[in-house]
Amino acid sequence: MIRRRVFVHGVGAVTPLGAGWQETVAALSAGRSAIAPIDHFDARGFPCSVAASLAFPEGTEERRIPLALAATREAWAGTRLEAAPERIGVFAGAEPGRPRFERIVALARAARDGGALRLGDQASAVLSRASQASPAAVASRLAGELGATGPVAAISLACASAAVAIAEGARAISRGECDVALCGGVGADVDPLLLAGFALLGALSEEGRSCPFDGRRDGFVLGEGAAFAVLAAERAGAVAELRGAGRTLDAHHLTAPDPTGEGAARAMRLALGESGLAAVDYVQAHGTSTPLNDAIEAKAIRRVLGPGLAAAHVSSVKGALGHTIAAAGAFGFLCAVEAVARGTILPTAGLVQPDPECDLPHVTDRALSRRVETAMSNAFAFGGANCSLVVARA
Amino acid sequence: MTGPSRRPAPAAIAGAGAASAYGFRWRGLARAVGEGALRPAPSTQLAATHPGTLSSEVPPVAAGGDRTDPKTRKLMSRAAHLAALALAQALEDAGFGDDRQDIGYYLGLGASGGPIEELHAILRASAAAGRLDLHRFARDGLPATNPLLAFHLLNNLVLCHGAIAASVGGPNAAFHSRGSGTFLALEEALWALQEGSCARAVAGGADSALHLGTFVELLGEGVVSQGLVPGEGAALLALARQVERPLAMLEGCAIGRGEDPEAALASVWHVLGPAEPDWLVIAPWGPPARRVLEAFARGPLRGVPVLDLTASLGDGLAAAPALACVAALDLVVGGARRALVLAAGIDGAAGGAMLSRRAT
Repeated sequence: MIRRRVFVHGVGAVTPLGAGWQETVAALSAGRSAIAPIDHFDARGFPCSVAASLAFPEGTEERRIPLALAATREAWAGTRLEAAPERIGVFAGAEPGRPRFERIVALARAARDGGALRLGDQASAVLSRASQASPAAVASRLAGELGATGPVAAISLACASAAVAIAEGARAISRGECDVALCGGVGADVDPLLLAGFALLGALSEEGRSCPFDGRRDGFVLGEGAAFAVLAAERAGAVAELRGAGRTLDAHHLTAPDPTGEGAARAMRLALGESGLAAVDYVQAHGTSTPLNDAIEAKAIRRVLGPGLAAAHVSSVKGALGHTIAAAGAFGFLCAVEAVARGTILPTAGLVQPDPECDLPHVTDRALSRRVETAMSNAFAFGGANCSLVVARA
Repeated sequence: MTGPSRRPAPAAIAGAGAASAYGFRWRGLARAVGEGALRPAPSTQLAATHPGTLSSEVPPVAAGGDRTDPKTRKLMSRAAHLAALALAQALEDAGFGDDRQDIGYYLGLGASGGPIEELHAILRASAAAGRLDLHRFARDGLPATNPLLAFHLLNNLVLCHGAIAASVGGPNAAFHSRGSGTFLALEEALWALQEGSCARAVAGGADSALHLGTFVELLGEGVVSQGLVPGEGAALLALARQVERPLAMLEGCAIGRGEDPEAALASVWHVLGPAEPDWLVIAPWGPPARRVLEAFARGPLRGVPVLDLTASLGDGLAAAPALACVAALDLVVGGARRALVLAAGIDGAAGGAMLSRRAT
């Protein structure tokens, strides 16, 4: 059986803090946050009226694909890889796209009126086409952009989507299914319906504050963006090595993590075990800023790293970029890569009063600059799907 | 830079679970389809908006047949409920007992839809002078909405609901599928078994084309007017690296892509052939895909009997290839040496799986 090593080449991202990853890193390093009042629709009265949102032209319906394309182009431009089209794979984390809210309302109204309206006759006017809205459309579009005809997969695992997409891409290279893989995710969920959905779950910050591991945290803030990385079997030109991945299910509860943190801990242990490591120098935590998740993740990190935690650092990019849902795992991964590739440990924006329950070696205020040999990123989804990734210097 | 493509090793099929118009079982499914015992009927789920629409619906669960906690049931989308029922059945059928923390779970799934009535509630509370008022939406619409709505909307909960109910905690992935993604789920399970990520895994698909939102999308695609019959269901194969008495072997899966569906099918056959199957089970996505699959059956597989699952069970989208796999399993358990499953989807991708009495 082929078990090839997997290396990280180019990375790319679009965020409210920058049109590219390095521009974003510069802002994150300075401790800047993208979280601001929502101004592209009337969010007054919503339980949370702030987000790290991106500006789109008026009337833009499909927001995921332009973001994913921009991040892909940056990631791809940063590589010098050559591979036959059938040896290039695409693995994208995405949730279904949504038509504009007005269209959904039109659907509901038409359905309420039932047979009198004969919904079928106006269907195409009510909803966008299924092939455009599906997560698979993102992966297919990116494959078309790269001319890739190798394996293509669209992963829909909520907040773990992109991390699992990266794990899948790495597996495909390791197994010899392809030589190059574009992996990552996109999230564009700052719209009334999703804001309502997460508000109904009680997951959003009513204080409008994203402050992972802070004693004042009361929920997450939505973010938007896309982050992609190009993985390859080739080492030359690589910026990092993807050493291991671990995936588990809590099998506990729909929204609450396993209070023991064992599901998350198992994912981290599996990723470390595959990497041949007992600990890492840096953890980019899932760190959503929700009371329960942060405390349980902190406990799991302490348990897994053990004595190794004393020499490590921990931070969460969600303090600055909010929770980008299907893209979140890719942003975490890029932060981990940044740490090992350039020695930049990004801070947790918003973390001012660390919660004793979340006692970790936090990085706050500004980025640290130091040599980092190994790093881990976590992504834990609603429903209890967990994915941890471990990277090392190339 | 180039490397050889590799395929995962075959795995033993220890059991299966299914929910379809045939009911909550898989044994006998192939015969029922072959005898034409399952026919589409006017949809009950679409009766209010699209009366008379022919569909293939999963019947109500018999009393005592659903061990899902009623409160949890309210949190499940249709696909999530069917997946949970199929998962429980597959685990029991395979004898995958109490220690399930390391069992892998790989699922092809589609868009998860919430009850349209919930949107009505929002609409009623949010309208002002006949128009949507976002301020009113926030003030009155949200409190009028059932907070459980969000649980229906997250795709991954189709996988997670069942995992929570059955305590399945191993490696996992949910692939968005309109056909081929379900074969990715099966292939990923084979790889996970081969690489030692888990010793046992459950893989398949779950979906419903009968949610109003999905059905309207299908109308928009034009495939309903071409003859697509919406269906629903869930089906899972319980796989193991080693099992004392396997029901059959899952020899392999393959996915072919490209704008030319015939070429995509040929690439699938290139991987899964050339040993001729005793049966070909097809799960086409709409009439155009059926024509392609039937043409393929008349070509390289001329003379091989064909079982058309979607002609009987409707098009269950991500569920359709998985239902075809359990029908193929039924054929192999019934004596066939080898059964080939082929499906073609709207995205131009084709997928296939080969099941056999033993590894070849």
